[in-house]
Amino acid sequence: MRVIASACVNRLIALLSARSTSARLALAIAGLFLSAYLLLGAGLYYAVSQIFAQDLHEVIRLDSADLVEMYRESGHAGLATEISERTASPDDDNAVYELIGPQGRLLAGQFATLPADARNGDGWVEFDERTADGVVRVVAKMQKLADGSKLLTGRRSRNQQRFEALVQRTSLYALLAAAGLGGLIGWITARWVAHRLESTYDITRRVGAGELALRIPEDDSDDSFDRLAKRINAMLDRIQELLDGVRHVTDHIAHDLRTPLTRLRNRLEEMRTEHVHAEQFTAELDAATAETDQLLATFSALLRLTRIEAQTAGANDPELALEPLVLDAVELYAPIASEGGIVLDAQTVPCTLRGDADQLFQLVANLLDNALKYATRGTRVTLHLYDDGDAIYLIIGDHGAGIPAVDRERVFDRFVRLEEHRGSQGSGLGLSLVRAIAHRHGGSITLEDNSPGLRVRVRLPRAEVR
Amino acid sequence: MRILIVEDDPHTATFIAKGLTEDGHTVDRADNGRDGLFLATTETYDAIILDRMLPVVDGLTVLRTLRGAGNAVPVLVLTALGDVDHRVEGLRAGADDYLVKPFAYAELSARIDSLLRRRQAPSAETTELRVGDLELNLLTREAKRAGRSIELQPREFRLLEYLMRQAERVVTRTMLLEAVWDYHFDPQTNVIDVHISRLRQKIDRHHPKPLLHTVRGAGYRLGVRE
Repeated sequence: MRVIASACVNRLIALLSARSTSARLALAIAGLFLSAYLLLGAGLYYAVSQIFAQDLHEVIRLDSADLVEMYRESGHAGLATEISERTASPDDDNAVYELIGPQGRLLAGQFATLPADARNGDGWVEFDERTADGVVRVVAKMQKLADGSKLLTGRRSRNQQRFEALVQRTSLYALLAAAGLGGLIGWITARWVAHRLESTYDITRRVGAGELALRIPEDDSDDSFDRLAKRINAMLDRIQELLDGVRHVTDHIAHDLRTPLTRLRNRLEEMRTEHVHAEQFTAELDAATAETDQLLATFSALLRLTRIEAQTAGANDPELALEPLVLDAVELYAPIASEGGIVLDAQTVPCTLRGDADQLFQLVANLLDNALKYATRGTRVTLHLYDDGDAIYLIIGDHGAGIPAVDRERVFDRFVRLEEHRGSQGSGLGLSLVRAIAHRHGGSITLEDNSPGLRVRVRLPRAEVR
Repeated sequence: MRILIVEDDPHTATFIAKGLTEDGHTVDRADNGRDGLFLATTETYDAIILDRMLPVVDGLTVLRTLRGAGNAVPVLVLTALGDVDHRVEGLRAGADDYLVKPFAYAELSARIDSLLRRRQAPSAETTELRVGDLELNLLTREAKRAGRSIELQPREFRLLEYLMRQAERVVTRTMLLEAVWDYHFDPQTNVIDVHISRLRQKIDRHHPKPLLHTVRGAGYRLGVRE
């Protein structure tokens, strides 16, 4: 028994000192509930007691007035007789009467049962009366009569006392029951919350330790715990996705940087082992340097791409006019177009967006570069920049070989170069960079058939007009 | 010229120091920010090459301290952080130029030359540039070679002006893009080459001695030297 009690106390202390919000909440609710109950009980008790007391006083007052009237009509003796009669055979068991002479001598009434000091009062008095079945509270009125004697009219407040005792007893039991019930509910709530959080806590800890595939069980109840679980699971999915992405990219980088590095190494080794004459040696060195430059360029592009992908569209970006930027890019590429016998036709309108000028220039430059690289000689490359009131569109179309529909999503991946273009210059990062820049500006990019050729549609959000 | 290199990676520092020494400069080295700051304030240098991420005191703090003390020595900041934000931050701290790692030595060399030149001959109130028999009037925006007028597009004019201001120095394609087109971006193909060859057509055609030279593995040089 002692062991169980001490275990209970320990449990309670643990609950009270618990860091868990749920336990504290449960305790607070139970406490509040009990306080409200006590307040209500006390109020009710007081109100009913008041009513009892008022009734008692009213009865006594009427009774007393009755007797005083009798005294006036039939004098001292009549009153004494009446009181003696009433005392001998009472209508009301609780009625108490006394007639006290001017010298303090008891002339009639319950001499034996009244305490002596009750006779000294005046007006309303209250005293305890010792009876066979215990102490009874008596409320009485002391009335001075014309001849100097005193009349005491009173009632034993047995009913009120019984009521009070009943209320007290009932209250105690109810209080105990409520406290027990509150505690139980609190304990169950705390346990339930702790249990629900326990699995979340456990799973997140294990995922943090590396078990990335684990997810918190969802019960589809859509309560706040379920919603929390769903949120966390979505976050874990995203983390896994990112990690998979990193793994994928790392594999690609390893492959695509290793190939030229191997080529470079072989070239250097050949120069060392084979006897090449001076002229060829210089040519080989130049080629090796060019290869290194290409590698460095690829590496820079890769770093840049990673950084841009990590950025988020920010309202902090400055507002900038896209048209002059696009025209600058067109001007930069115009000589390349005319050398390739291609007409570069640009139609632009002024439009404003928030963004990074260097990145956007890179976007336009890469798209123009691609279009001019793959366009057939003698054809036209068109650039349209317009604002449809909802968004800004940059559309660049060429009449080259185009990209088969199946490859149109794949070409955005890092280092993906379609077979037929493998031989040509380029890192395979151009379109990846374009897409990253578009996304970072809150935009999107789609590839379409220009029949024949490729049409690139870039949609960018326009700056809010203020 | 006396140049201070503040770079914590010994490989990079040795590589830069070797190149600059071969170019005829005198080089001092520091491998952390505190020593770099000490040397920069106690000695006199014509230029400082400052790595951005340094042990003890970082590069930008060194730079701000120098500028705060009124030291106007040209500073080229080297960094692995190539974002526009980082670049802007570097330039605000008082950098004269900003070069992102990895870089080719030719790029660094050309930029250092440009910084040193800027210091020697501040672009003050020059109204006419002259290289050999090539003249460029900045007021009338007229170009002449051997007295004969050359038609230039506005961009070609800026390109030629930049090349002439950097006469006899190597300028890289990146430098041209930044100075003439004013965008920091990475051209996929050598789009600059086409512009240069067009300019070359205009200034060197019909002339036995070409002025606009291609420097292998580096960029271009405008000058009378072969």
